[in-house]
Amino acid sequence: MRLFLKGLGKRELATSFMLILFIILFILPFITIGLKSVSVGWRWPALLPNGLSLDAWRSIMKDPKLIESLVTTFKVAFLVVLLNILLAIPAARALSHYTFKGKSIIEGLLLSPILIPGILLAMGLQFTMIQFGIADKMIGVVFVHLIPTLPYAIRVMRAGYERMGSSLYEQASVLGAGLFTRFFTIALPLLLPSIRSLMLLTFVISLGQYALTAIIGGGTVITLPMLYYPYFSSSNDAVIAGFSILFALLPLLFIGFVEVMMRLVIRAVNRV
Amino acid sequence: MNGRIGLLSNNWKISLYLLPAIAITLLLVGYGTWSAVAQSFQTIDGEWTIAAYAELFSSDAFFHSLKLTFRVAILSTLLSLVIGLVMTRLLYQLFKDSTWKLLVWIPMLIPHFVAGYLVFLFLSQSGLLSSLLYQIGALENRANFPVLVQEEFGIGIILTYVWKEVPFVILMLLPVYYEIDHRYSEVVRTLGGSNWDAFRTVELPWLLPVLIETSVILVAFVASAFEIPYLLGVTRPEMLPVRAYEWFYNGDWSKRPLAFSAMILPGVIALLLATLSIGAVQKHRLRMIKGRSR
Repeated sequence: MRLFLKGLGKRELATSFMLILFIILFILPFITIGLKSVSVGWRWPALLPNGLSLDAWRSIMKDPKLIESLVTTFKVAFLVVLLNILLAIPAARALSHYTFKGKSIIEGLLLSPILIPGILLAMGLQFTMIQFGIADKMIGVVFVHLIPTLPYAIRVMRAGYERMGSSLYEQASVLGAGLFTRFFTIALPLLLPSIRSLMLLTFVISLGQYALTAIIGGGTVITLPMLYYPYFSSSNDAVIAGFSILFALLPLLFIGFVEVMMRLVIRAVNRV
Repeated sequence: MNGRIGLLSNNWKISLYLLPAIAITLLLVGYGTWSAVAQSFQTIDGEWTIAAYAELFSSDAFFHSLKLTFRVAILSTLLSLVIGLVMTRLLYQLFKDSTWKLLVWIPMLIPHFVAGYLVFLFLSQSGLLSSLLYQIGALENRANFPVLVQEEFGIGIILTYVWKEVPFVILMLLPVYYEIDHRYSEVVRTLGGSNWDAFRTVELPWLLPVLIETSVILVAFVASAFEIPYLLGVTRPEMLPVRAYEWFYNGDWSKRPLAFSAMILPGVIALLLATLSIGAVQKHRLRMIKGRSR
């Protein structure tokens, strides 16, 4: 018994140590840049800022290029998320509930966008996209953003479908429910957590693309990362920190927006 | 469940469900790869030639870049896997609770280049760690602080990737840890086995497929990503994606075949790695299925 308690104690010690390490490594940096973005004159070797001010945020918000690119970024990411949902849900359904000839080849193909260098694909597609007139336009950028997002979207949805199983679906179909009724009354509510993860993940990946956007957008589609790099080489630390915080806030804002929209839709549907 | 008529309609259904995703992937990957390979073998006037490859293979700078690229890719993947595995092993009980699991999602929320900025902020010579060491008297001058970012080995780049990918590894491994029947580990311990024995015989067989899948994704990603080395790298040697991007963009179009051929080699290596390891996992999976009498 004593030995058992001792063993347990050691394991719990290791767990709490790991948790503290995790928080220091992954959460503390966010607090630091938050503080940095409202600081003035925080230079080596000071551990804390000299004073606080909202100047950095003011200059970020005053930048007209930034507001414009914020809108572009949101539009691109929104379309990327939407396309991912539309493409991934049926594909994940087929992969999770059916076995068929050549399935592993299809799986390999659908994973290939993250195995073959995205930058190579974008460079290869650029000339053709110019010929078809979709380079230097938002639609072209949305299109190449599917390269790093779609494989993850399918993966997330597939895991969701596998967790859901097929028994409820079969029950509904025995009771005579059609394809759409089954999807909207059974699959959709049960898949909501996976859809949320999909939206967050694909939004974040789209938000983080610099090279793909630059290659296909050709300098006319200015998303936020296009502005981040020039800011990074500028000297105002607080402004870069504020800009960085913005990148962490946008996914939260997006998911909040989606959540509100979903609640409204569900309420409207229930009333009908 | 499905009758004879059902089978036929199932095939139609599967094709219909998969068609959009497959079409888009073929267009992006199939056509993109073909076009990239074709352009790597052409001059800007459209003549077929292997000049770009000849130029690459005769330059030392290319091999330095290749070496750096794969060193960074393999080191950051291995470190992320080991750290992620240890953290998952110790914390998976805790992460069952969804509020704690949010903690893992937080680092996933920011783009890679912001993570690069964090590494710069904390670990550069005039960064916060250097300040801390100075304040506690361990450092006399910031010049004594080791150069960790923007140096030739790629330490800053590796650290950024590790920071960003450890949560990814944890999120990949967590579902597997919930699937494992941990009573087997108890059996191993009761029979006198150590923690290591329990890990090797109970957990590893479950983890191996996911570990390999994750490492393939990570190596392929790091070897071809542009954002972090552009921010935290040096110009000599450059990582291949940065080199290729610059050939593609800066200067004249005559450098474009070089840009394509420079990225094709890491692409081929990553693809080979993927095929080999996924083949190995398939075999392992088959053996696992045969071993179980369910």
